[in-house]
Amino acid sequence: MSKQHEPRVLGHADEADGIEEYDNPLPDWWLGLFWLTIIWGGFYAVHYHFWGNRSQEGEFIAEMQAADERWPEQAQAAIQFAMSDAAVTSGEAVYQQNCFPCHGVNLEGGIGPAFDDDEWIHGGTADDVLRIIREGVLTKGMVAWEGILSPEQINDVTAYIVARNMDATGRTLDSYLASSGMDAEPAEADTVTVAPASDSQGSQSEPED
Amino acid sequence: MEPNSVAADSSRSAPAVTPNYDDGIVKMFFTATVIWGIVGMLVGVIIALQLAWWPANLNLPWTSFGRLRPLHTNAVIFAFAGNVCFTGIYHSMQRLLKTRMFNDTLSRIHFWGWQLIIVSAAVSLPMGLTQGKEYAELIWPIDVAVTLIWVAFAINFFGTIAIRKVQHLYVAIWFYMSFVLTIAVLHIVNSLAIPATLLRSYPIYAGLTDGLVQWWYGHNAVGFFLTTPFLGLMYYYLPRAAERPVFSYRLSIIHFWALVFLYIWAGPHHLLYSALPDWAQTLGMVFSVILIAPSWGGMLNGLLTLKGAWDRVRTDPILKMMVVAVSFYGMSTFEGPMMSIRAVNGLAHYTNWVIGHVHSGALGWVGMMSFGMLYWLAPRLFNRPLAYPKWVSHHFWLATIGIVIYTVAMWAAGLMEGLQWRAINDAGQLVNPIFLDITARLQPFMLLRLLGGGMYLVGAIMMGINFWQTVNGPERPEEADALPQAA
Ligand code: HEM
Ligand code: HEM
Repeated sequence: MSKQHEPRVLGHADEADGIEEYDNPLPDWWLGLFWLTIIWGGFYAVHYHFWGNRSQEGEFIAEMQAADERWPEQAQAAIQFAMSDAAVTSGEAVYQQNCFPCHGVNLEGGIGPAFDDDEWIHGGTADDVLRIIREGVLTKGMVAWEGILSPEQINDVTAYIVARNMDATGRTLDSYLASSGMDAEPAEADTVTVAPASDSQGSQSEPED
Repeated sequence: MEPNSVAADSSRSAPAVTPNYDDGIVKMFFTATVIWGIVGMLVGVIIALQLAWWPANLNLPWTSFGRLRPLHTNAVIFAFAGNVCFTGIYHSMQRLLKTRMFNDTLSRIHFWGWQLIIVSAAVSLPMGLTQGKEYAELIWPIDVAVTLIWVAFAINFFGTIAIRKVQHLYVAIWFYMSFVLTIAVLHIVNSLAIPATLLRSYPIYAGLTDGLVQWWYGHNAVGFFLTTPFLGLMYYYLPRAAERPVFSYRLSIIHFWALVFLYIWAGPHHLLYSALPDWAQTLGMVFSVILIAPSWGGMLNGLLTLKGAWDRVRTDPILKMMVVAVSFYGMSTFEGPMMSIRAVNGLAHYTNWVIGHVHSGALGWVGMMSFGMLYWLAPRLFNRPLAYPKWVSHHFWLATIGIVIYTVAMWAAGLMEGLQWRAINDAGQLVNPIFLDITARLQPFMLLRLLGGGMYLVGAIMMGINFWQTVNGPERPEEADALPQAA
């Protein structure tokens, strides 16, 4: 093995089961890459934490602010429930695309509670239904649909559920709107839940099939 | 003895004084490797099938994905890769140190203890007995057994180094040492738990601390179980198979120390955008990026060692396997640091991209390095030429094409789901609000992965048959000439 450019071998072979090792220097580009990443690493850390004063939380806040600026009405939009035939029709489409896997094709329930009866775990007014659709019941697996469905879609699917519930139970439209006056004040969330929920606590645990 | 002959076969010119090596233990680990390799990959193919076609869960708790997945990871990492390392270490260290193992009984305790641990894992995991920490699922009694067996191995290993007949410790031995030491520390620290019953225990860490310790362990399981021992194997078997000197001794020293120092800090790249404090996330990210060069040092030393043997690489499937292994090592150690960058990880995390990354390292680097080593070793260990030499080449192509199909499918799937999860339309709504819709779109990629993984498995089974026939097959007339010089 005598080539022209053969670099020096170290001569350890008899101590390494015959494996020789060359005395080659570190490749320049390899060493350069190593230094480059080290310098970049120091620079990045200082930049992130000091010069740029960045943080995970800051990133989140900035992203939310940008979204609020881009879609301002959405950030505020409190949905006023509005019932109409058009709303029911379009609501049916929303329901049959998103809600039926848990609540049943005919609103008969399943994984989630039924809408063809008089029992409402979280309150039985249109505003209650709207609120649950928007905010979800995360502990029980109900999705918060705000941000997934548009405000109109949430209104329409509520209209669809109300209309079908009227058919099934014979309630009047007014009875769904009854409490609407009650939560004219912005923090409507708690006021509505307390009253109607108490009598249906028992059925809360397991909606039968 | 032979100052100028380069990586020549030393045993040929070292006559009567050949030490009395313990090759029996090597044969035992060799056999276990092949069996567990096939089992682990078979379970991999089964869970790949389950992800593509859910009825394969069989509607039984014991065969459901959630229980078979940890069986797969434990089988391929600790049973397959573990036994590969032990095979290579017991074979090469005796030769590198010119001495028999320190204590034959310890070798046997190590072997049987380890196989028993694997069997108990294979029973307990499908039963649903788990600690729920990835790659550290085994329940506490098995954890204790692992510790005891590892200590037996460590005594035997360092004992052998103590009684060595050479001064110089070859680079492969350093890598083995980092494996033996670091795995002991990682396993013990991460597994600390208070037993409640025989089958249940509570970790001594809580919440975020538990998470951080877990991924310090998890990442270094990759680093010190799937990387450093395999680099050690590469440093022995690649120059032996290529019959070429190692490219650079200096590079091997620098990249060894840089690698073992840096790896230990990189765990937080598994916890980016979590409750982990920002500074710790930065630490993990920066150390991961700095890991590129030290990792590539290993790849370079492998590839440049083959320089001058390229004509043989073209014809010798064993060298081809090693080239592919080292190339995938370089690829996945570039991909990993990129995935450690916050912005990239925000996209890649939770997606199949991570699965693609895992298997380019696991199938490409770990698997191919193992196959190359086993094929080189088999005729030397069992003193008979391979029964079906051509099959080695078939195996090489099946595995290589299989890896490419597997990883490309997972990259595509990962990018697709990552982008679809976050896509927002002009109205500020999610474009794909139903998570399940995106999941359902993954099916073609899941089927492709099944195909790629299936090809990989077929290759491994062919290897198993080849070895079986090599050891047990009838004597072949051409045998005498075909045998390589004893190792
Ligand atoms: C025939 C070959 C193989 C197939 C078909 C296969 C298939 C799979 C599948 C389907 C998963 C679960 C992915 C998921 O949860 O989405 C998985 C996970 C995993 N496999 Fe494999 N595998 C194979 C070989 C290997 C080998 C040889 C190794 C290691 C040496 C390995 C290491 C892993 C690891 C570490 C994970 C967990 C990844 C994570 O949690 O991110 N696999 N494999
Ligand atoms: C410098 C080298 C490497 C770096 C910096 C690195 C980095 C990473 C990163 C950032 C992830 C994704 C974590 C997440 O988002 O969940 C990951 C996952 C993973 N990598 Fe690597 N990687 C490297 C090399 C390797 C190699 C060579 C292998 C295999 C032999 C490997 C095996 C894995 C495994 C098994 C996981 C999945 C862990 C889990 O269960 O979630 N990595 N790696």
